[in-house]
Amino acid sequence: MFFVLILPFKTFAGFPIGKYRNVIVPTFSYYRQTDRFDDKDHVIKGAPGTSFTSYSSNLFIGYGISRRLDVIATIPYLYQQNIVAPGYKLVDAGLGDAVVGFSYNLVNTNFVRFFSIGVSAIVPLYNIHNGPSPLGLSAYGSEVKLMYCGNLPKDVSKKGYFNLELGYRKYYDTQGPDQVSLLGSVGYPVSRHDQFSLDILLWRSFSSNKEFNENIFAAHDYSFFKPQLNYGHTFTRRFSAFVGGFYVPFGVNTGVGYGGSLLAVIKL
Amino acid sequence: MKRVNYLIYLSAFILAASSFKAAAQQTEETGDVVLTAIPQNKNALFNGNEPIRYKLQVRNNTKQHQNGHISYLVTTDEGKKVAEDSLRVNLKGGAGRDIGITVPKMQTGFYRISFMVNMPEYDDTLRRVFGVNPEKITSRLHKPADFDAFWDQTRAQLAAVPPEYHVTERKDLSTNAKKVYSVEMRSFGGIVIRGWLVIPRDGSKFPVHYRVPGYVVTLKPNMDNDDFIAFDLNVRGNGNSRDVINVGTDNYSVINIENKDKYIYRGVYMDCLRGVDFLYSHSNLGIDTSKIFVEGGSQGGSLALITAALDKRVKLLTMQVPLYADIRDGYSISESYGHQVFPFKVFRKYQSQHPGFSWEKFYATFDYYDPQNFAPMVKCPVLMGIGLLDQFCPPRCSMALYNHISSTNKEFVCVPNSTHEVDFNYFMFQNLWLREKFRIP
Repeated sequence: MFFVLILPFKTFAGFPIGKYRNVIVPTFSYYRQTDRFDDKDHVIKGAPGTSFTSYSSNLFIGYGISRRLDVIATIPYLYQQNIVAPGYKLVDAGLGDAVVGFSYNLVNTNFVRFFSIGVSAIVPLYNIHNGPSPLGLSAYGSEVKLMYCGNLPKDVSKKGYFNLELGYRKYYDTQGPDQVSLLGSVGYPVSRHDQFSLDILLWRSFSSNKEFNENIFAAHDYSFFKPQLNYGHTFTRRFSAFVGGFYVPFGVNTGVGYGGSLLAVIKL
Repeated sequence: MKRVNYLIYLSAFILAASSFKAAAQQTEETGDVVLTAIPQNKNALFNGNEPIRYKLQVRNNTKQHQNGHISYLVTTDEGKKVAEDSLRVNLKGGAGRDIGITVPKMQTGFYRISFMVNMPEYDDTLRRVFGVNPEKITSRLHKPADFDAFWDQTRAQLAAVPPEYHVTERKDLSTNAKKVYSVEMRSFGGIVIRGWLVIPRDGSKFPVHYRVPGYVVTLKPNMDNDDFIAFDLNVRGNGNSRDVINVGTDNYSVINIENKDKYIYRGVYMDCLRGVDFLYSHSNLGIDTSKIFVEGGSQGGSLALITAALDKRVKLLTMQVPLYADIRDGYSISESYGHQVFPFKVFRKYQSQHPGFSWEKFYATFDYYDPQNFAPMVKCPVLMGIGLLDQFCPPRCSMALYNHISSTNKEFVCVPNSTHEVDFNYFMFQNLWLREKFRIP
């Protein structure tokens, strides 16, 4: 669950990368929570002095094999501080769950809008044989994603773009979980080099394990709503940077999280 | 949990509603009886082993019952009838019907197909063209024995002309994003030609979009390209290069046509090469001389091809509806037209006004200039766009030219319902194609 709060979802958009071209997106993210949502969508104040904070870096690499087919890979590295009681701090660091797969453009509408499918494997890059890990769900998984993106309709706006993604994840463990996500993004340029974008992410995780767990990383059944506002600047044709902030206004079995991310888009 | 679920349901509903709205907008149509022909293959190009299938959509927008015939007639592109059929159609008022049409398999070539609807109160004909095995179309090259020597000598004469480049920044035309320069140079025969160079301010080195003009077309500064330096050259007699040659469209293509050494296009072709010389001698302006692509439509398409054929410094070629290609087959096709169109309209008019100027004499000159004779010299990647309804540049002639191109890295785009043009979709693809070939992000 944690990863979906911080990873740069925009890098998975259904825009084909382009034959023979590469996209590299390094991301640095900050996430913090002190309070949490219970299973009734109520905010539960965290105990004084407790918190969870994460600093993470993430590397997305995409390569256009053909005009329609891209190979993509995401490798996260996490550094987490979980203060479970005043003076009692758990620190974990290491590689998280890699997502490796392909994205295939099924339909393009006049090269203006693209409908694509992504199929990926989720591969834990940490030891999964010693029980639950704070670095992920400790299980292999797979993901199928439908993506529709392109220019905004002309009767809505003469410029700007959108991206819609419907994803399904399955983790191969007795308690799953199965996860459904819906992401909607709108980007709008305010000058030749500057743009703002808004990402709205809805995430629902299903599992037979309904039990409330203090450790949010061990939670299997939860949901949340996360809006994120970003500002992007294009430095050159090959290099852009985005900075964004997010907040989780409501959810279930998850943290009342907030934070931000800084990412660079490098096109080769 | 409920709030997140509600949001997911709401988002899905909005998406579905948007899709329905888009679908509804595509079904609007007007007219008494509307006939639409949809080829089974979207680009109306078929394999010789498959039947040619169309879906005819007939809609009766009147309130009256319509009872009549729908028929089709297929001819070669030279007008020879090869197939026809007819069927009865009864349509209630406001009713529509889809009719499947299967035309017998055809040999390699392009074919005109006319769909006729004949009803007591309504007659209409819908004209379309389809192609069969377009990449197997062949044509005979009528390349004169001294063709290569002729052009070697011509290039040598061009090289002997000092270019005397003048580059002038035009602040009145420049913007915050781009600098505009007017450029001037001497070309074949000492004639001055001019063009426009537009350089994005947003960078220090750019690939070049070198555009050559259509028939007596004025090229102006191209401000639309952010990722390329745009170089638009007005060859002699076009745009701002009319100091010496300044004639209209009715006479341009026949200037000195009776003398291959003085024919207008000898200098025009060399003007295009002088443009490449200009680009290579001005890398100080941020021109990436390793990434020059030449482009043009109609006459410009052929000029672009000839530039790429004669000057290997050009790395990519894109052309649309190349004029004059496979000129002899173009003549045969033009004979079947009810009304003459360019370019043979001009050639025939000249012939009618100059007794003794036979087609043999015409070819004695034009065989040196037929773009397809240059095609085997093209080695760089090529993208070509054609319109199937084009009478100026019949698709058979364009494909014959294309098939003579030596480069194996070549693609073409067929726009079935276009006449002497391609569509927006083609240019979107061309943009992606260029970025792919030049590895531009």
